[in-house]
Amino acid sequence: MARAHFLGILIFVLLLAGLAGLRGALPALAIPLLLYLLYGLNHGSGPIALEAHRTLSTNRVLPNTPVRVSVTISNRGRNLDELVVQDLLSPNLSVMEGSLSHLISLPGGGSYTFEYVVKGPRGGYALEELRVDEYDHFGLIHHGQTVPAAGQLFVFPPVVRLKGVTIRPRGTRVYSGTIPARVGGPGVEFFSVRDYQAGDAPRHINWHVSARHADHLFSNEYQQERVADVAIILDGRKRANLFAGGRSLFEHSVLAAAALSNALLAQGDRVGLLIYGQYLEWTWPGYGKLQRERILQALAHARPGASQVFDGLEYLPTRMFPPKSQIILVSSLLEDDFQTLVQLRARGYQILIVSPDPVAFELSHLPQKPESRLAARIVRLERGLLIHNIQRAGIQFVEWDTSRPFDQATGHYLTGRGVLVGARL
Amino acid sequence: MTLLALVFSIVAGTGALAWGYLQMGFGQYARWILIFGMFWLVGVWQRWRWFAYAGLAFNLAVAALGLWFTNFPPGWMFAGAIGGLLAFDLTDFSYRLRFSASAEERRQVERRHLLRITLLALVGFVLASLAMMFTLNYSFEWGLFLAIVAALGILQLVAWYRSRQ
Repeated sequence: MARAHFLGILIFVLLLAGLAGLRGALPALAIPLLLYLLYGLNHGSGPIALEAHRTLSTNRVLPNTPVRVSVTISNRGRNLDELVVQDLLSPNLSVMEGSLSHLISLPGGGSYTFEYVVKGPRGGYALEELRVDEYDHFGLIHHGQTVPAAGQLFVFPPVVRLKGVTIRPRGTRVYSGTIPARVGGPGVEFFSVRDYQAGDAPRHINWHVSARHADHLFSNEYQQERVADVAIILDGRKRANLFAGGRSLFEHSVLAAAALSNALLAQGDRVGLLIYGQYLEWTWPGYGKLQRERILQALAHARPGASQVFDGLEYLPTRMFPPKSQIILVSSLLEDDFQTLVQLRARGYQILIVSPDPVAFELSHLPQKPESRLAARIVRLERGLLIHNIQRAGIQFVEWDTSRPFDQATGHYLTGRGVLVGARL
Repeated sequence: MTLLALVFSIVAGTGALAWGYLQMGFGQYARWILIFGMFWLVGVWQRWRWFAYAGLAFNLAVAALGLWFTNFPPGWMFAGAIGGLLAFDLTDFSYRLRFSASAEERRQVERRHLLRITLLALVGFVLASLAMMFTLNYSFEWGLFLAIVAALGILQLVAWYRSRQ
Protein backbone atom coordinates (compact mmCIF):
# COMPACT_ATOMS: atom_id res chain seq x y z
CA MET A 1 0.00 0.00 0.00
CA ALA A 2 1.29 3.48 -0.76
CA ARG A 3 2.34 5.30 2.35
CA ALA A 4 0.26 8.36 1.50
CA HIS A 5 -2.87 6.21 1.17
CA PHE A 6 -2.15 4.50 4.47
CA LEU A 7 -1.76 7.83 6.25
CA GLY A 8 -4.92 9.17 4.57
CA ILE A 9 -6.89 6.19 5.87
CA LEU A 10 -5.53 6.63 9.40
CA ILE A 11 -6.43 10.32 9.39
CA PHE A 12 -9.91 9.57 8.08
CA VAL A 13 -10.50 6.90 10.72
CA LEU A 14 -9.36 9.22 13.50
CA LEU A 15 -11.60 12.04 12.26
CA LEU A 16 -14.57 9.75 11.89
CA ALA A 17 -13.98 8.19 15.29
CA GLY A 18 -13.70 11.65 16.84
CA LEU A 19 -16.91 12.80 15.22
CA ALA A 20 -18.77 9.60 15.94
CA GLY A 21 -17.78 9.58 19.58
CA LEU A 22 -17.80 13.36 19.93
CA ARG A 23 -14.22 13.16 21.20
CA GLY A 24 -12.23 16.21 20.27
CA ALA A 25 -8.95 14.56 21.25
CA LEU A 26 -9.09 12.12 18.36
CA PRO A 27 -9.07 14.68 15.54
CA ALA A 28 -6.29 16.41 17.47
CA LEU A 29 -4.35 13.15 17.32
CA ALA A 30 -4.69 13.29 13.54
CA ILE A 31 -3.02 16.72 13.33
CA PRO A 32 0.62 15.46 13.26
CA LEU A 33 -0.32 12.94 10.60
CA LEU A 34 -2.10 15.59 8.56
CA LEU A 35 0.86 17.93 8.81
CA TYR A 36 3.19 15.16 7.75
CA LEU A 37 1.00 14.28 4.80
CA LEU A 38 0.54 17.87 3.64
CA TYR A 39 4.21 18.73 4.00
CA GLY A 40 5.19 15.63 2.12
CA LEU A 41 2.77 16.26 -0.70
CA ASN A 42 3.71 19.92 -0.91
CA HIS A 43 6.71 19.60 -3.11
CA GLY A 44 7.21 20.77 -6.63
CA SER A 45 5.13 19.11 -9.28
CA GLY A 46 5.79 18.54 -12.93
CA PRO A 47 7.78 16.04 -14.86
CA ILE A 48 11.40 15.33 -14.14
CA ALA A 49 13.65 16.90 -16.78
CA LEU A 50 16.96 15.14 -16.51
CA GLU A 51 19.70 14.66 -19.04
CA ALA A 52 22.51 12.18 -18.66
CA HIS A 53 25.80 11.83 -20.40
CA ARG A 54 28.09 8.84 -20.15
CA THR A 55 31.76 8.54 -21.02
CA LEU A 56 33.92 5.45 -20.91
CA SER A 57 37.68 5.48 -20.57
CA THR A 58 37.71 3.02 -23.46
CA ASN A 59 34.96 1.06 -25.13
CA ARG A 60 36.97 -1.79 -26.65
CA VAL A 61 38.84 -3.91 -24.17
CA LEU A 62 40.00 -7.42 -23.48
CA PRO A 63 38.23 -9.60 -20.92
CA ASN A 64 38.48 -8.43 -17.31
CA THR A 65 40.19 -5.18 -18.19
CA PRO A 66 39.02 -2.35 -15.90
CA VAL A 67 37.02 0.39 -17.61
CA ARG A 68 36.23 3.67 -15.89
CA VAL A 69 32.71 4.90 -16.54
CA SER A 70 31.75 8.47 -15.79
CA VAL A 71 28.10 9.56 -15.72
CA THR A 72 26.91 13.15 -15.46
CA ILE A 73 23.27 13.95 -14.72
CA SER A 74 22.00 17.45 -15.36
CA ASN A 75 18.73 18.71 -13.99
CA ARG A 76 16.89 20.91 -16.51
CA GLY A 77 13.73 21.19 -14.44
CA ARG A 78 12.57 21.81 -10.90
CA ASN A 79 14.48 21.06 -7.71
CA LEU A 80 14.65 17.39 -6.91
CA ASP A 81 14.79 16.85 -3.18
CA GLU A 82 15.64 13.19 -3.00
CA LEU A 83 16.79 11.53 -6.15
CA VAL A 84 17.87 7.93 -6.34
CA VAL A 85 20.02 7.30 -9.41
CA GLN A 86 20.84 3.78 -10.45
CA ASP A 87 22.91 2.81 -13.42
CA LEU A 88 21.47 -0.26 -15.09
CA LEU A 89 24.34 -2.55 -15.98
CA SER A 90 24.45 -6.03 -17.33
CA PRO A 91 24.74 -8.55 -14.49
CA ASN A 92 27.82 -9.96 -16.22
CA LEU A 93 29.75 -6.79 -15.51
CA SER A 94 31.22 -6.50 -12.05
CA VAL A 95 31.89 -3.23 -10.31
CA MET A 96 35.44 -2.99 -8.99
CA GLU A 97 35.33 0.53 -7.66
CA GLY A 98 32.61 3.08 -7.00
CA SER A 99 28.90 2.54 -6.81
CA LEU A 100 26.07 2.21 -9.31
CA SER A 101 23.43 3.81 -7.10
CA HIS A 102 23.39 7.26 -5.57
CA LEU A 103 21.02 9.16 -3.34
CA ILE A 104 21.36 12.84 -4.06
CA SER A 105 19.60 16.15 -3.92
CA LEU A 106 19.72 17.91 -7.26
CA PRO A 107 18.64 21.55 -7.56
CA GLY A 108 17.25 22.87 -10.82
CA GLY A 109 20.08 23.63 -13.23
CA GLY A 110 22.52 21.59 -11.18
CA SER A 111 24.45 18.53 -12.22
CA TYR A 112 26.02 15.56 -10.53
CA THR A 113 28.82 13.32 -11.74
CA PHE A 114 29.70 9.91 -10.49
CA GLU A 115 32.28 7.37 -11.58
CA TYR A 116 32.81 3.70 -11.21
CA VAL A 117 35.12 1.04 -12.60
CA VAL A 118 33.77 -2.14 -14.16
CA LYS A 119 35.21 -5.22 -15.72
CA GLY A 120 33.61 -8.16 -17.40
CA PRO A 121 33.95 -11.25 -19.51
CA ARG A 122 33.75 -11.33 -23.31
CA GLY A 123 30.57 -9.73 -24.58
CA GLY A 124 28.94 -6.68 -26.03
CA TYR A 125 27.37 -4.51 -23.36
CA ALA A 126 24.93 -1.74 -24.11
CA LEU A 127 24.99 0.81 -21.31
CA GLU A 128 21.80 2.52 -22.32
CA GLU A 129 19.98 4.19 -19.49
CA LEU A 130 19.81 5.21 -15.88
CA ARG A 131 16.95 4.52 -13.54
CA VAL A 132 15.97 7.60 -11.56
CA ASP A 133 13.44 7.66 -8.73
CA GLU A 134 12.41 10.94 -7.25
CA TYR A 135 10.84 11.13 -3.80
CA ASP A 136 9.18 14.00 -2.02
CA HIS A 137 10.41 15.23 1.39
CA PHE A 138 9.07 12.17 3.19
CA GLY A 139 8.98 9.58 0.46
CA LEU A 140 5.21 9.75 0.08
CA ILE A 141 5.20 10.43 -3.64
CA HIS A 142 7.48 8.63 -5.97
CA HIS A 143 8.19 9.36 -9.62
CA GLY A 144 10.29 6.82 -11.42
CA GLN A 145 11.59 6.92 -14.95
CA THR A 146 14.56 6.00 -17.06
CA VAL A 147 16.95 8.54 -18.52
CA PRO A 148 18.89 7.63 -21.66
CA ALA A 149 22.66 7.66 -21.24
CA ALA A 150 24.02 5.81 -24.22
CA GLY A 151 27.29 3.98 -24.11
CA GLN A 152 28.69 0.76 -25.44
CA LEU A 153 31.36 -1.49 -24.13
CA PHE A 154 32.84 -4.27 -26.22
CA VAL A 155 34.87 -6.87 -24.46
CA PHE A 156 36.60 -8.59 -27.33
CA PRO A 157 38.16 -12.02 -27.19
CA PRO A 158 41.95 -11.89 -27.01
CA VAL A 159 43.40 -11.98 -30.51
CA VAL A 160 46.37 -14.30 -30.74
CA ARG A 161 48.70 -13.24 -33.52
CA LEU A 162 49.45 -15.96 -36.05
CA LYS A 163 52.20 -15.52 -38.58
CA GLY A 164 49.83 -16.52 -41.34
CA VAL A 165 47.36 -19.17 -42.36
CA THR A 166 48.20 -21.24 -45.39
CA ILE A 167 45.10 -22.11 -47.35
CA ARG A 168 44.64 -23.45 -50.86
CA PRO A 169 41.08 -22.82 -52.00
CA ARG A 170 40.12 -23.86 -55.51
CA GLY A 171 38.90 -20.39 -56.41
CA THR A 172 40.52 -17.06 -55.75
CA ARG A 173 39.54 -13.47 -56.31
CA VAL A 174 41.09 -11.08 -58.82
CA TYR A 175 43.18 -9.05 -56.41
CA SER A 176 46.72 -10.00 -55.68
CA GLY A 177 47.42 -11.66 -52.41
CA THR A 178 49.32 -14.56 -50.94
CA ILE A 179 47.41 -17.58 -52.16
CA PRO A 180 48.69 -19.41 -55.25
CA ALA A 181 45.90 -19.06 -57.82
CA ARG A 182 46.84 -21.93 -60.18
CA VAL A 183 46.98 -19.34 -62.96
CA GLY A 184 50.07 -18.17 -64.79
CA GLY A 185 51.14 -14.58 -64.62
CA PRO A 186 53.31 -12.34 -62.47
CA GLY A 187 54.44 -14.00 -59.30
CA VAL A 188 57.33 -15.68 -57.55
CA GLU A 189 56.77 -19.41 -57.88
CA PHE A 190 57.48 -21.05 -61.24
CA PHE A 191 54.27 -22.12 -62.99
CA SER A 192 54.99 -23.07 -66.66
CA VAL A 193 56.81 -22.18 -69.86
CA ARG A 194 55.17 -20.47 -72.79
CA ASP A 195 56.14 -18.85 -76.09
CA TYR A 196 57.96 -15.60 -75.78
CA GLN A 197 55.71 -12.62 -76.29
CA ALA A 198 56.75 -9.12 -77.14
CA GLY A 199 57.24 -7.18 -73.96
CA ASP A 200 58.43 -10.12 -71.85
CA ALA A 201 61.36 -9.15 -69.70
CA PRO A 202 64.65 -10.72 -70.86
CA ARG A 203 65.21 -12.14 -67.36
CA HIS A 204 62.03 -14.19 -67.77
CA ILE A 205 63.29 -15.94 -70.90
CA ASN A 206 63.95 -19.60 -70.23
CA TRP A 207 67.28 -20.02 -72.02
CA HIS A 208 67.49 -23.77 -71.45
CA VAL A 209 64.26 -24.47 -73.30
CA SER A 210 64.91 -21.81 -75.96
CA ALA A 211 68.30 -23.38 -76.76
CA ARG A 212 66.58 -26.54 -77.88
CA HIS A 213 64.50 -24.68 -80.48
CA ALA A 214 66.36 -22.82 -83.19
CA ASP A 215 63.68 -20.28 -84.05
CA HIS A 216 61.69 -19.95 -80.89
CA LEU A 217 62.12 -18.22 -77.57
CA PHE A 218 60.33 -19.32 -74.47
CA SER A 219 59.49 -17.39 -71.33
CA ASN A 220 58.90 -18.58 -67.81
CA GLU A 221 55.47 -18.06 -66.39
CA TYR A 222 54.94 -17.67 -62.70
CA GLN A 223 52.01 -18.58 -60.55
CA GLN A 224 49.78 -15.67 -59.69
CA GLU A 225 49.11 -15.09 -56.02
CA ARG A 226 45.74 -13.72 -55.16
CA VAL A 227 43.40 -13.23 -52.26
CA ALA A 228 40.60 -15.66 -51.52
CA ASP A 229 37.17 -15.82 -49.98
CA VAL A 230 37.24 -17.44 -46.58
CA ALA A 231 34.23 -18.30 -44.47
CA ILE A 232 34.95 -19.03 -40.85
CA ILE A 233 32.21 -21.08 -39.24
CA LEU A 234 32.18 -20.95 -35.48
CA ASP A 235 30.29 -23.88 -34.05
CA GLY A 236 28.10 -22.50 -31.28
CA ARG A 237 25.97 -25.56 -30.70
CA LYS A 238 25.61 -26.27 -27.04
CA ARG A 239 26.03 -30.00 -27.41
CA ALA A 240 29.34 -29.48 -29.18
CA ASN A 241 30.65 -27.06 -26.59
CA LEU A 242 29.24 -27.77 -23.16
CA PHE A 243 30.52 -30.55 -20.98
CA ALA A 244 29.85 -31.92 -17.52
CA GLY A 245 29.95 -29.37 -14.74
CA GLY A 246 29.02 -26.49 -17.05
CA ARG A 247 32.50 -26.36 -18.54
CA SER A 248 32.61 -24.99 -22.04
CA LEU A 249 34.98 -25.18 -24.97
CA PHE A 250 33.26 -22.27 -26.61
CA GLU A 251 35.66 -19.64 -25.31
CA HIS A 252 38.53 -21.57 -26.88
CA SER A 253 36.63 -21.79 -30.16
CA VAL A 254 36.02 -18.04 -30.08
CA LEU A 255 39.69 -17.41 -29.43
CA ALA A 256 40.64 -19.63 -32.38
CA ALA A 257 38.12 -17.91 -34.67
CA ALA A 258 39.46 -14.49 -33.66
CA ALA A 259 43.05 -15.51 -34.31
CA LEU A 260 42.24 -17.06 -37.69
CA SER A 261 40.14 -14.16 -38.92
CA ASN A 262 42.82 -11.70 -37.84
CA ALA A 263 45.56 -13.58 -39.63
CA LEU A 264 43.53 -14.05 -42.82
CA LEU A 265 42.48 -10.42 -42.96
CA ALA A 266 46.07 -9.38 -42.37
CA GLN A 267 47.16 -11.32 -45.44
CA GLY A 268 44.50 -9.60 -47.50
CA ASP A 269 41.81 -12.24 -47.77
CA ARG A 270 38.10 -11.58 -47.82
CA VAL A 271 36.75 -13.09 -44.62
CA GLY A 272 33.20 -13.73 -43.40
CA LEU A 273 32.06 -15.26 -40.14
CA LEU A 274 29.11 -17.50 -39.48
CA ILE A 275 28.18 -18.31 -35.91
CA TYR A 276 26.18 -21.50 -36.03
CA GLY A 277 24.32 -22.13 -32.79
CA GLN A 278 20.90 -21.21 -31.54
CA TYR A 279 20.52 -19.18 -34.70
CA LEU A 280 22.68 -18.12 -37.61
CA GLU A 281 24.65 -14.95 -37.24
CA TRP A 282 26.36 -14.08 -40.45
CA THR A 283 28.96 -11.37 -40.82
CA TRP A 284 29.24 -10.65 -44.52
CA PRO A 285 32.67 -11.17 -46.05
CA GLY A 286 34.88 -8.13 -46.26
CA TYR A 287 38.43 -6.92 -46.21
CA GLY A 288 40.63 -4.99 -43.88
CA LYS A 289 40.45 -3.40 -40.50
CA LEU A 290 36.79 -2.55 -40.66
CA GLN A 291 35.96 -6.18 -41.27
CA ARG A 292 38.23 -7.18 -38.42
CA GLU A 293 36.23 -4.88 -36.16
CA ARG A 294 32.93 -6.34 -37.41
CA ILE A 295 34.11 -9.88 -36.80
CA LEU A 296 35.42 -9.08 -33.34
CA GLN A 297 32.11 -7.45 -32.46
CA ALA A 298 30.25 -10.53 -33.66
CA LEU A 299 32.60 -12.72 -31.64
CA ALA A 300 32.10 -10.52 -28.60
CA HIS A 301 28.37 -11.21 -28.77
CA ALA A 302 28.71 -14.91 -29.58
CA ARG A 303 27.04 -17.30 -27.17
CA PRO A 304 26.57 -21.05 -27.39
CA GLY A 305 22.96 -22.04 -27.81
CA ALA A 306 20.69 -24.94 -28.57
CA SER A 307 18.17 -25.16 -31.36
CA GLN A 308 16.26 -28.08 -32.81
CA VAL A 309 16.78 -26.74 -36.31
CA PHE A 310 20.50 -26.17 -36.04
CA ASP A 311 21.23 -29.24 -34.00
CA GLY A 312 23.26 -30.73 -36.85
CA LEU A 313 25.41 -29.05 -39.48
CA GLU A 314 23.06 -30.04 -42.31
CA TYR A 315 21.43 -26.62 -42.30
CA LEU A 316 24.64 -24.76 -42.98
CA PRO A 317 23.62 -22.06 -45.47
CA THR A 318 26.15 -22.97 -48.14
CA ARG A 319 24.76 -20.38 -50.55
CA MET A 320 26.30 -17.73 -48.38
CA PHE A 321 29.77 -19.04 -49.16
CA PRO A 322 31.17 -18.19 -52.61
CA PRO A 323 31.76 -21.29 -54.76
CA LYS A 324 35.20 -22.89 -54.48
CA SER A 325 36.02 -20.76 -51.49
CA GLN A 326 37.79 -21.79 -48.33
CA ILE A 327 35.71 -22.81 -45.34
CA ILE A 328 37.30 -22.95 -41.91
CA LEU A 329 35.19 -24.74 -39.35
CA VAL A 330 36.07 -24.12 -35.73
CA SER A 331 34.36 -26.91 -33.87
CA SER A 332 35.01 -29.68 -31.41
CA LEU A 333 33.16 -31.81 -33.97
CA LEU A 334 30.41 -34.34 -33.47
CA GLU A 335 29.95 -37.79 -34.92
CA ASP A 336 27.03 -36.79 -37.15
CA ASP A 337 28.87 -33.82 -38.71
CA PHE A 338 30.87 -36.06 -40.98
CA GLN A 339 28.23 -36.41 -43.69
CA THR A 340 27.70 -32.68 -44.04
CA LEU A 341 31.42 -32.03 -44.24
CA VAL A 342 31.82 -34.58 -47.02
CA GLN A 343 28.94 -32.98 -48.91
CA LEU A 344 30.57 -29.57 -48.60
CA ARG A 345 33.81 -30.98 -49.88
CA ALA A 346 31.98 -32.55 -52.80
CA ARG A 347 30.57 -29.17 -53.73
CA GLY A 348 34.06 -27.85 -54.29
CA TYR A 349 34.79 -26.08 -51.04
CA GLN A 350 38.19 -26.42 -49.49
CA ILE A 351 37.63 -27.22 -45.84
CA LEU A 352 39.92 -26.74 -42.90
CA ILE A 353 38.74 -27.88 -39.49
CA VAL A 354 40.31 -26.37 -36.41
CA SER A 355 39.10 -28.48 -33.56
CA PRO A 356 39.66 -27.78 -29.87
CA ASP A 357 40.25 -31.24 -28.45
CA PRO A 358 37.18 -32.08 -26.32
CA VAL A 359 38.68 -35.28 -24.91
CA ALA A 360 41.78 -33.65 -23.50
CA PHE A 361 39.65 -30.74 -22.28
CA GLU A 362 37.23 -32.92 -20.37
CA LEU A 363 39.91 -35.26 -19.10
CA SER A 364 41.82 -32.35 -17.63
CA HIS A 365 38.82 -31.58 -15.44
CA LEU A 366 38.16 -35.15 -14.32
CA PRO A 367 39.82 -36.88 -11.38
CA GLN A 368 42.77 -38.94 -12.53
CA LYS A 369 41.28 -42.40 -12.06
CA PRO A 370 41.79 -45.52 -14.15
CA GLU A 371 38.12 -45.36 -15.16
CA SER A 372 38.53 -41.81 -16.49
CA ARG A 373 41.61 -42.76 -18.44
CA LEU A 374 39.88 -45.82 -19.90
CA ALA A 375 36.83 -43.77 -20.88
CA ALA A 376 39.06 -41.13 -22.46
CA ARG A 377 40.86 -43.82 -24.39
CA ILE A 378 37.60 -45.21 -25.78
CA VAL A 379 36.32 -41.77 -26.73
CA ARG A 380 39.66 -40.92 -28.30
CA LEU A 381 39.50 -44.04 -30.42
CA GLU A 382 36.04 -43.07 -31.65
CA ARG A 383 37.20 -39.56 -32.36
CA GLY A 384 40.32 -40.85 -34.06
CA LEU A 385 38.16 -42.87 -36.41
CA LEU A 386 36.05 -39.81 -37.21
CA ILE A 387 39.17 -37.74 -37.89
CA HIS A 388 40.60 -40.48 -40.05
CA ASN A 389 37.43 -40.54 -42.18
CA ILE A 390 37.46 -36.76 -42.44
CA GLN A 391 41.04 -36.74 -43.63
CA ARG A 392 40.27 -39.42 -46.16
CA ALA A 393 37.59 -37.15 -47.57
CA GLY A 394 40.31 -34.58 -48.30
CA ILE A 395 39.47 -32.29 -45.46
CA GLN A 396 42.31 -30.62 -43.62
CA PHE A 397 42.19 -31.14 -39.90
CA VAL A 398 44.05 -29.46 -37.07
CA GLU A 399 43.38 -30.57 -33.54
CA TRP A 400 44.16 -28.19 -30.72
CA ASP A 401 44.88 -29.29 -27.19
CA THR A 402 43.49 -26.30 -25.35
CA SER A 403 45.98 -26.68 -22.52
CA ARG A 404 48.52 -25.13 -24.89
CA PRO A 405 48.31 -21.62 -26.34
CA PHE A 406 46.62 -21.58 -29.74
CA ASP A 407 49.48 -20.04 -31.66
CA GLN A 408 52.04 -22.40 -30.19
CA ALA A 409 49.91 -25.49 -30.69
CA THR A 410 48.66 -24.81 -34.20
CA GLY A 411 50.81 -22.05 -35.66
CA HIS A 412 53.36 -24.49 -37.07
CA TYR A 413 50.68 -26.26 -39.09
CA LEU A 414 48.51 -23.32 -40.02
CA THR A 415 51.47 -21.46 -41.47
CA GLY A 416 52.21 -24.37 -43.77
CA ARG A 417 55.48 -25.40 -42.19
CA GLY A 418 53.97 -28.59 -40.86
CA VAL A 419 51.98 -31.22 -42.68
CA LEU A 420 48.59 -29.58 -42.67
CA VAL A 421 46.58 -32.39 -44.15
CA GLY A 422 45.94 -34.73 -41.31
CA ALA A 423 47.84 -32.67 -38.80
CA ARG A 424 46.99 -33.75 -35.30
CA LEU A 425 48.58 -32.04 -32.35
CA MET B 1 22.42 8.28 12.73
CA THR B 2 19.11 7.32 11.14
CA LEU B 3 19.13 3.94 12.79
CA LEU B 4 19.76 5.56 16.15
CA ALA B 5 16.90 7.99 15.59
CA LEU B 6 14.65 5.13 14.47
CA VAL B 7 15.36 3.05 17.57
CA PHE B 8 14.94 6.11 19.75
CA SER B 9 11.58 6.98 18.20
CA ILE B 10 10.29 3.43 18.70
CA VAL B 11 11.47 3.32 22.29
CA ALA B 12 10.18 6.82 23.01
CA GLY B 13 6.82 6.20 21.29
CA THR B 14 5.99 2.89 22.91
CA GLY B 15 7.59 4.01 26.17
CA ALA B 16 5.41 7.13 26.32
CA LEU B 17 2.27 5.13 25.71
CA ALA B 18 3.23 2.51 28.28
CA TRP B 19 4.07 5.20 30.80
CA GLY B 20 0.69 6.90 30.20
CA TYR B 21 -1.17 3.64 30.70
CA LEU B 22 0.91 2.76 33.77
CA GLN B 23 0.14 6.11 35.34
CA MET B 24 -3.55 5.39 35.01
CA GLY B 25 -3.13 1.99 36.64
CA PHE B 26 -3.20 -0.19 33.53
CA GLY B 27 0.07 -1.99 34.19
CA GLN B 28 -0.97 -5.09 32.24
CA TYR B 29 -1.63 -3.02 29.10
CA ALA B 30 1.62 -1.12 29.59
CA ARG B 31 3.48 -4.44 29.58
CA TRP B 32 1.86 -5.47 26.28
CA ILE B 33 2.72 -2.10 24.74
CA LEU B 34 6.35 -2.58 25.73
CA ILE B 35 6.35 -6.11 24.33
CA PHE B 36 5.02 -4.75 21.05
CA GLY B 37 7.77 -2.13 21.10
CA MET B 38 10.33 -4.89 21.46
CA PHE B 39 8.78 -6.73 18.51
CA TRP B 40 9.06 -3.55 16.51
CA LEU B 41 12.74 -3.33 17.34
CA VAL B 42 13.12 -6.91 16.18
CA GLY B 43 11.33 -5.87 12.98
CA VAL B 44 13.90 -3.10 12.49
CA TRP B 45 16.70 -5.59 13.04
CA GLN B 46 15.15 -8.03 10.59
CA ARG B 47 14.40 -5.24 8.08
CA TRP B 48 10.68 -5.95 8.03
CA ARG B 49 9.52 -2.74 6.38
CA TRP B 50 5.88 -3.74 6.65
CA PHE B 51 6.14 -3.73 10.43
CA ALA B 52 6.34 0.08 10.41
CA TYR B 53 2.78 0.20 9.06
CA ALA B 54 1.58 -2.10 11.84
CA GLY B 55 3.58 -0.12 14.39
CA LEU B 56 2.09 3.22 13.41
CA ALA B 57 -1.44 1.80 13.37
CA PHE B 58 -0.84 0.19 16.77
CA ASN B 59 0.56 3.34 18.37
CA LEU B 60 -2.30 5.45 17.03
CA ALA B 61 -4.90 2.91 18.10
CA VAL B 62 -3.46 2.68 21.62
CA ALA B 63 -3.24 6.48 21.89
CA ALA B 64 -6.81 6.89 20.57
CA LEU B 65 -8.13 4.29 23.01
CA GLY B 66 -6.42 6.06 25.85
CA LEU B 67 -7.93 9.36 24.84
CA TRP B 68 -11.36 7.83 24.16
CA PHE B 69 -12.17 5.70 27.15
CA THR B 70 -10.42 7.42 29.95
CA ASN B 71 -8.93 10.80 30.27
CA PHE B 72 -5.35 9.74 29.97
CA PRO B 73 -2.67 12.43 30.05
CA PRO B 74 -2.84 13.56 26.40
CA GLY B 75 0.83 14.57 26.32
CA TRP B 76 2.00 10.96 26.64
CA MET B 77 -0.57 9.79 24.11
CA PHE B 78 0.48 12.41 21.57
CA ALA B 79 4.12 11.59 22.22
CA GLY B 80 3.36 7.93 21.55
CA ALA B 81 1.56 8.71 18.30
CA ILE B 82 4.30 11.05 17.11
CA GLY B 83 6.95 8.50 18.05
CA GLY B 84 5.12 5.96 15.88
CA LEU B 85 4.94 8.46 13.03
CA LEU B 86 8.67 9.18 13.27
CA ALA B 87 9.49 5.48 13.28
CA PHE B 88 7.19 4.97 10.29
CA ASP B 89 9.00 7.72 8.40
CA LEU B 90 12.51 6.69 9.36
CA THR B 91 11.95 3.07 8.41
CA ASP B 92 11.20 4.11 4.86
CA PHE B 93 13.98 6.67 4.88
CA SER B 94 16.56 4.12 5.99
CA TYR B 95 15.42 1.94 3.09
CA ARG B 96 16.08 4.81 0.65
CA LEU B 97 19.42 5.51 2.29
CA ARG B 98 20.79 2.20 1.09
CA PHE B 99 21.16 3.79 -2.35
CA SER B 100 23.69 6.32 -1.10
CA ALA B 101 27.13 5.63 -2.44
CA SER B 102 29.34 7.30 0.14
CA ALA B 103 29.29 8.29 3.77
CA GLU B 104 29.40 11.95 2.77
CA GLU B 105 26.40 11.58 0.47
CA ARG B 106 24.56 9.73 3.22
CA ARG B 107 25.37 12.31 5.88
CA GLN B 108 24.07 15.20 3.80
CA VAL B 109 20.72 13.57 3.08
CA GLU B 110 20.38 12.30 6.65
CA ARG B 111 21.06 15.67 8.20
CA ARG B 112 18.47 17.40 6.05
CA HIS B 113 15.82 14.77 6.57
CA LEU B 114 16.25 14.43 10.32
CA LEU B 115 16.10 18.19 10.79
CA ARG B 116 12.95 18.37 8.74
CA ILE B 117 11.15 15.51 10.47
CA THR B 118 12.13 16.69 13.93
CA LEU B 119 10.76 20.15 13.28
CA LEU B 120 7.59 18.68 11.89
CA ALA B 121 7.15 16.45 14.93
CA LEU B 122 7.57 19.43 17.24
CA VAL B 123 5.09 21.54 15.30
CA GLY B 124 2.63 18.63 15.22
CA PHE B 125 2.98 18.11 18.95
CA VAL B 126 2.44 21.79 19.67
CA LEU B 127 -0.56 22.05 17.36
CA ALA B 128 -2.16 18.92 18.78
CA SER B 129 -1.62 20.19 22.30
CA LEU B 130 -3.12 23.56 21.37
CA ALA B 131 -6.09 21.80 19.81
CA MET B 132 -6.67 20.00 23.09
CA MET B 133 -6.93 23.33 24.88
CA PHE B 134 -9.85 24.45 22.75
CA THR B 135 -12.44 21.91 23.66
CA LEU B 136 -15.83 22.74 22.26
CA ASN B 137 -19.12 21.08 22.99
CA TYR B 138 -20.91 20.63 19.74
CA SER B 139 -24.29 19.22 18.90
CA PHE B 140 -25.14 16.34 16.55
CA GLU B 141 -25.86 18.78 13.69
CA TRP B 142 -22.40 20.27 14.11
CA GLY B 143 -20.91 16.82 14.19
CA LEU B 144 -22.71 15.83 10.99
CA PHE B 145 -21.60 19.03 9.30
CA LEU B 146 -17.98 18.52 10.30
CA ALA B 147 -18.13 14.88 9.16
CA ILE B 148 -19.31 15.97 5.71
CA VAL B 149 -16.63 18.66 5.54
CA ALA B 150 -13.99 16.14 6.61
CA ALA B 151 -15.13 13.59 4.03
CA LEU B 152 -15.13 16.21 1.27
CA GLY B 153 -11.72 17.40 2.37
CA ILE B 154 -10.29 13.90 2.27
CA LEU B 155 -11.83 13.30 -1.16
CA GLN B 156 -10.34 16.55 -2.39
CA LEU B 157 -6.97 15.54 -0.99
CA VAL B 158 -7.09 12.17 -2.70
CA ALA B 159 -8.13 13.76 -6.03
CA TRP B 160 -5.33 16.28 -5.77
CA TYR B 161 -2.83 13.59 -4.94
CA ARG B 162 -3.93 11.44 -7.85
CA SER B 163 -3.83 14.33 -10.29
CA ARG B 164 -0.24 15.05 -9.24
CA GLN B 165 0.72 11.44 -9.80
